[in-house]
Amino acid sequence: MSFKLKALLRSPWVFHLSTGSCNNCDIEVLDCLTPRFDIERFGMLLAGSIKHADVLLVTGSCNRKSVERMKRLYEQAPRPCLVVAIGECALSRGMFMHSYNCPVPLDKIIPVDVYIPGCPPKPEAIIAGVVKLIEKVKSKK
Amino acid sequence: MTREEVLKNLKNRFKDDIIEVFDKSSNRVYIDIKPGSLVSVATYVFNDLEARFNIATGVDVRYHMEILYHFTFEDLNLLISFRVKLPKDKLEIESLTSVFEGADWIEREMHELLGIDFKGHPDLRRLLLSEEWPEGVYPLRCDYKEWDEKAIRDRGV
Repeated sequence: MSFKLKALLRSPWVFHLSTGSCNNCDIEVLDCLTPRFDIERFGMLLAGSIKHADVLLVTGSCNRKSVERMKRLYEQAPRPCLVVAIGECALSRGMFMHSYNCPVPLDKIIPVDVYIPGCPPKPEAIIAGVVKLIEKVKSKK
Repeated sequence: MTREEVLKNLKNRFKDDIIEVFDKSSNRVYIDIKPGSLVSVATYVFNDLEARFNIATGVDVRYHMEILYHFTFEDLNLLISFRVKLPKDKLEIESLTSVFEGADWIEREMHELLGIDFKGHPDLRRLLLSEEWPEGVYPLRCDYKEWDEKAIRDRGV
């Protein structure tokens, strides 16, 4: 494991991007930050800018307009950058699969490290997913 | 003014413009009007009856295109929808932006998603669709066909 990745795992800073979601996943992400679930005990912090972040957290079904913005954000992210897809829409576009505005799923556009299914996923599921991400990166060596 | 007075007023004033009045419930009335008299009806309802322009809805109902203009009378708890039917081969209607500013964006949206031409609109630019979207393809029409060859329409399993 590179030094950078090792340092990143101690305290992954997260940038939260919504590509046209219904905001339910975003509410669950917000729940993770509250004292009840307190994701900060794993060192995770919501960053205000992608340039400060290590993890790109994507919700929503990737419509034609937000895909351009998402690509630009992914290019600006400092490497190594991990991508987490949250919710059914980000995974496979869910009910918007045949929508004229959502042509391609997220993982056909940028590489995704962890998929967290659910509509919306519970905060427990999000925490479990993030812990699995850390385990996966650690075991990669 | 009460609910009955509003409806009677409208029926008397626009005898020739109103095709049908559908009194659905105590707080919902649909009124079919001729496309040509839309501006005069909207001006009267907005300026004289002091209703609030809520939103407009465009619907493709296969045989013709419908636009519903929803006006609310808040102190009466009444919503009146003025329905205009446009033939498929002549999709144009007078714009309402000269009467109230709030019709601007919804008319732009209907123009790009359904292809209805609003005559007299100051700025019929694109509002929601992306730049790569081809001209002359309207996604909310019944006869819309997939144009993007790169689109993936299966779940990959």
